[in-house]
Amino acid sequence: MRTQLTRRHAIQLGTAGWLSSLAATAADHPERKRACIVLWMSGGPTQTDTFDPKPGHANGGPFKAIDTAAAGVRIAEHLPQVATQMKHLAVLRSMATKEGDHGRATLHLRTGNLPQGAIDFPVFGSLVAKEKTPAGSDLPGFVSVAPRGLGTAALSAGFLGPQHAPLVVGTAGDTYGDDSTGGLQVENLGLPSRVSRHRMDERLTLLSESEADFLTARPGTATASHKTAYERAVRLMKPAAAKAFDLSDEDDKLRDRYGRNRFGQGCLLARRLVARGVPFVEVGLGGWDTHDNNFKQVQGLCQTLDPAWATLIADLKDHGLLDTTTVVWMGEFGRTPGINPRQGRDHYPNAWSVVLGGGGIRGGQAVGKTGASGMEVEDRPVAVPDLLATVCHAIGIDPTKQNLSNVNRPIRIVDQAAKPIREVLS
Amino acid sequence: MRRLFATVSTLLATALVGSAAPPDPQALADRIDARLDARLAAEKAKAAPPADDAEFLRRAYLDVTGRIPSPHDVYDFLADKDANKRAKLIDALLETPRHAGHFAAIWRATLVPEVAAVPEARVFRSGFEAWLRQKFRANTRYDVLVRELLTADISPDADAPTPALRRPDDPNPLAFYAVKEAKAENLAATTSRVFLGVQIECAQCHDHPFAKWTRDQFWNTAAFFAGVERHGDTLFGQLSETIARREIVPVVGKQAVAALFLDDKVPAWGKAVSPRVPLAAWVTAKDNPFFAKAAVNRVWGQFFGRGLVDPVDDFRDDNPPSHPELLDDLAKAFADSGFDLQFLMKAIGRTKAYHRTSARTDATQDDPRLYARMAVKGLTGEQLFDSFVRATGFREGVGRNSPRDQFLTRFAPTGKEPETSIPQALTLMNGKFIADATTLDSSPTLTAACETPGLEMAERVEVLYAAALSRLPTEKERERMLKYVSDGGTGKMAERLGDVFWVLLNSAEFRLNH
Repeated sequence: MRTQLTRRHAIQLGTAGWLSSLAATAADHPERKRACIVLWMSGGPTQTDTFDPKPGHANGGPFKAIDTAAAGVRIAEHLPQVATQMKHLAVLRSMATKEGDHGRATLHLRTGNLPQGAIDFPVFGSLVAKEKTPAGSDLPGFVSVAPRGLGTAALSAGFLGPQHAPLVVGTAGDTYGDDSTGGLQVENLGLPSRVSRHRMDERLTLLSESEADFLTARPGTATASHKTAYERAVRLMKPAAAKAFDLSDEDDKLRDRYGRNRFGQGCLLARRLVARGVPFVEVGLGGWDTHDNNFKQVQGLCQTLDPAWATLIADLKDHGLLDTTTVVWMGEFGRTPGINPRQGRDHYPNAWSVVLGGGGIRGGQAVGKTGASGMEVEDRPVAVPDLLATVCHAIGIDPTKQNLSNVNRPIRIVDQAAKPIREVLS
Repeated sequence: MRRLFATVSTLLATALVGSAAPPDPQALADRIDARLDARLAAEKAKAAPPADDAEFLRRAYLDVTGRIPSPHDVYDFLADKDANKRAKLIDALLETPRHAGHFAAIWRATLVPEVAAVPEARVFRSGFEAWLRQKFRANTRYDVLVRELLTADISPDADAPTPALRRPDDPNPLAFYAVKEAKAENLAATTSRVFLGVQIECAQCHDHPFAKWTRDQFWNTAAFFAGVERHGDTLFGQLSETIARREIVPVVGKQAVAALFLDDKVPAWGKAVSPRVPLAAWVTAKDNPFFAKAAVNRVWGQFFGRGLVDPVDDFRDDNPPSHPELLDDLAKAFADSGFDLQFLMKAIGRTKAYHRTSARTDATQDDPRLYARMAVKGLTGEQLFDSFVRATGFREGVGRNSPRDQFLTRFAPTGKEPETSIPQALTLMNGKFIADATTLDSSPTLTAACETPGLEMAERVEVLYAAALSRLPTEKERERMLKYVSDGGTGKMAERLGDVFWVLLNSAEFRLNH
């Protein structure tokens, strides 16, 4: 009797034989799906020295403003290549948020919510992955490249469950190596030298048989996460999926244009993944927490950011992907318009900028406005949920759709009160 | 129902009468069980039966010492006929150096998570853990430990500052100040979150409509650290403290805010004493309404996989505890014991609740807030690596960029739930450690299983089960594995047993603390 019950449970929960064979092939996905790439500027980038310059004001600092390909939209001088792509980009200069602590602001921007007791909010990438990942895909629906500085909660799929958690790459080592992978390969994807595919399949079969009882008797996050991670890892080990991460396929000149650094190569990887149907990729660039020596640091960061981002836009266009790929540039907050005694700028959530571009976005414009000092938003304040709802519309997701949360209450992708910024949507 | 309440009251009364004697962990354990049982009865939930000895043994080793038992420990414990052997085991494990090391790693991760997240900060790890290890080894009372950390020596003379780091391996609590950039707001946020269980940092920029704390209260607390200063811009800058400074200007604001306790009491300032001294005294006072509760809740969460208040550091009116009376009982008993962490753990280790199996035996056991069955917990990177070393018989390397260090980076816990990531699964399936562990000439355990003369094949399989899963295989498992080995044909024994070991080390049962 007991054995029968156990077996029935195993079948119901699908635990027996849950690991797919390495030999099984992936389904084809001919139709183009829309995707999102977030360039995540960890630490909170200064708006005054990038997209909301204040030349002539004491807060403006030493950087000049330059013209861009979009008439009337001027940005700071150290993003000249991005300036040439401005017709694809819309600058949003009126972000008005409230959190000035890195951790809380990061969670707010990445989940659309502030921590609330027991509710385990998923990050936006996981919400998109759940909506947009093609059925049967061997690649994960959310890849996070070099998310340095992000706390673990800022990468959690929360109540959506581990199957929508990001695959994180590019965390090994402190700096970018000059090897051909850019430090972005998925480690341990290949089988150990003495293990054939056939032998690995035998091991996987034995594993799924022998742990079915343990998993069935212990439903919950820990066991579900273990099972899901193995399932997803085995799919990723298939040669076609693994190939997505092999940047040596790409033309050397193109790789040079992106920049031979982790962020630049990460942007290239983002294009490869989006081209293969991955709906959400983020690429991290840290170092924006410029309390000291802001101007020298920002100039250096822009030398990495500018070629990578501009090349990404151009390369997406060349591959016919720009119309279906929304590119978002953002951090957790902006920085004080006032300059502190250490030539730095401190955290500032009151008035700051993000940039949207590509698919679903009406480029070539600046939306919202700050005053002469940059201290206040004068026109069109945008809250975090408004921003996320806008991205939802750009990539074709209904932001009011509900998911069941871990507290057994349905929760919308973005709060119902959010108002998408219609004028930046195409 | 009435009878149950009567039982609870009797137990409480008994415990109160006995309060002059040295604290008895069994009495507290009984009180915990009475509270939990009352709630289970009220919810009509059925508690799971006790775990068998092997399940309990593995759990106790992982929770108290941070790694699995050796096969030798398994055979000894299974053979031990002493009815009281579980309580004795917990008490003995608490005395081991491994216990101090495990708790040092846990509290290091809690107090200075930056050490794992920021590569430049990694060098602070060993000295800070060494300092904690000394404290736990001596069973330093928790209030003393916290006071020592909050009042760590920092020179009051800016011309003769204190180095944050001398020799990296020497015991040193100053990592706490260094990795938080000696910033008052960072130190205040961690102090209140970790030691008081309240997240006042949410009020750093503005008053939150739904939270109890105001922006001023955040800066009132930060002001106690206002005099702490770092010289230079790097994490390794020397530290000094202007002890006369007891106010701070908020980051977004102009008016200086004075040092004031969270309960709005005004500190009694001593002469020539750091403001951190009265802060530490208030934080750790027996009548502080937050201190003991935050501590017992954290330890409870460690052993049961979930705090009575969950998350463990988020005490708020709208996030109430699952068992308010139990939390009060625990906090009182802990404070009465003189903040004796070992007493608290001895009591938890003696409860029926801690002895329950993690396997579901009834449909009413799935609400984790009822503690009807043991939670399945994830392993920290340290627990997993140290268990892996023990199971495979590898010699452990130490230091930066050692295999252990690399492993800890990859297996740093993600999120608040015990999750396994894709890269972790790939490491465990294909990485060098597992390849070595499952190849005869590089695997001490596999060599023992294959080459010990005179063993039946079933006994060879048993060696692998004892090493990896700290138990013997069931009849069904034994048959399945024997068939797998014999299906390989002749001359393949080492390879097939290597596969069996691979399967055990990749199983959820190995990867999780259940």
